[in-house]
Amino acid sequence: MVGLAEFFERKPNIEVVVFAGKGGLGKTTSSAALSYHMAVNEGKKVLCFSTDPQASLSDIFERDLFGKGVVEVAPNLYVVEIDADKKIAEYQQEIKHKIMDMYGLEELPKEIEEYIDSTSAEPAMYESATYDAMADLVASGEYDLYVFDMPPFGHGVRMVAMAEILSAWVDKITEARKEAAEYEAVAATLKGGMQTEDMVLKELEEIRKKMTTFTELMTNSEKTAFFMVMVPEKMAILDTERALEMFRELNIEMSGVIVNQIYPRDLLNKPDLPELLRKKIEMQEKHLLEIREKFEDLIAAIIPMYDREPKGLEMIAKVAEDLMNSRRDLLWW
Amino acid sequence: MLDWEVIPIPLFGRKNKEKKEEKKEGVSEALKGVLYGFAVHGAATAALKTRMHMEHLFMLMTLGDMLGFPIIPPYYSLKILPYVVPNIKSWKERLFRERDFTDLLSG
Ligand SMILES: Nc1ncnc2c1ncn2[C@@H]1O[C@H](COP(=O)(O)OP(=O)(O)OP(=O)(O)O)[C@@H](O)[C@H]1O
Ligand SMILES: [Mg+2]
Repeated sequence: MVGLAEFFERKPNIEVVVFAGKGGLGKTTSSAALSYHMAVNEGKKVLCFSTDPQASLSDIFERDLFGKGVVEVAPNLYVVEIDADKKIAEYQQEIKHKIMDMYGLEELPKEIEEYIDSTSAEPAMYESATYDAMADLVASGEYDLYVFDMPPFGHGVRMVAMAEILSAWVDKITEARKEAAEYEAVAATLKGGMQTEDMVLKELEEIRKKMTTFTELMTNSEKTAFFMVMVPEKMAILDTERALEMFRELNIEMSGVIVNQIYPRDLLNKPDLPELLRKKIEMQEKHLLEIREKFEDLIAAIIPMYDREPKGLEMIAKVAEDLMNSRRDLLWW
Repeated sequence: MLDWEVIPIPLFGRKNKEKKEEKKEGVSEALKGVLYGFAVHGAATAALKTRMHMEHLFMLMTLGDMLGFPIIPPYYSLKILPYVVPNIKSWKERLFRERDFTDLLSG
């Protein structure tokens, strides 16, 4: 048996599913299909989440969801497509106001303002804002299953490393502070005195708690599943190998690989098959053989290439069938 | 700038007031006093160092990415920023004077 149905039978306690992989291979399609299946066919309360500025969930569900908060698109199926730009801009405003309030300023020092504004240009800002939103949603515990449709190669792995670094630093500061207290020179190092330091430490503790709770969940292979989506192409094979390597280094289990966009071989029996398509199917063969060889035990689902882009609930339901119970002969003909 | 004088070294002060009695107690006691002073002074130096070290820790955590080594994801370092605003200027000035501030990081 190939297909995610078998995987979820084996791991009934999964709360989070992450679809990762390079751009344009089928992460959003897989996310929508799994969410649909779990909600509509299995009656679980599902939240499907994305921060894609291209509003790809709006696209596939054929509803305007971007920046609209949580929307129920089918019974039990909730979708949220976060407008990260807007979220970050609002957050920066909030920080600026906080500083002005704290120090009774009419306007911000230019340097501080520039520093805050410059943070929105960093990719790391988007990434951490996304994880913060994810962590909040998961912490709410409102849903039975969270499906994260990640941006290309943002698979949450960096966040795990970041949580570890932050933890080490919080420990170091706490320890240094104790040391200072022992010398009776409990002088505060920040201008606001001990109170400010206490507040910073409290914030740091909260951030650490949030990050570690989230990364503990993400690294628990009974509760979180990571699937790499790939297609039968040379580049995708190389990228998947690289990602597997990275997961291994960080000691995170990759749950499986989803091979998408496979042209069914029985098309070859069609006498009127366009020459271009015939070539394509023949080209695919050697990549499929390589995938079989390299990822054998990891292949979790196989999805055919459809004759049109899967959009709308009806097509999503069709993809869901293939995702949950895949046609084996697409890969092992 | 930080005001270094503010750091209290209480034991040092008390010792000075007892100077008269000390004299009577002979050389050994005087030596002891000197050693004691050393120890206390040593502690104070360490405290000074620790204090500076801590400020570095706080500031690096918040603004590390400005210097090219992010410690907290930027979304969260903005959360800390309001608290360290008054320290930013002096910290940056001092950082540029520091011969090898990586020592402070490892220390
Ligand atoms: N099996 C399939 N058959 C036909 N079209 C597909 C299939 N899978 C995906 N597509 C189409 O390919 C395009 C990319 O798919 P999708 O949006 O799911 O990829 P993605 O990995 O989410 O991309 P991005 O990295 O841009 O978010 C979409 O237009 C989608 O409709
Ligand atoms: Mg997508």
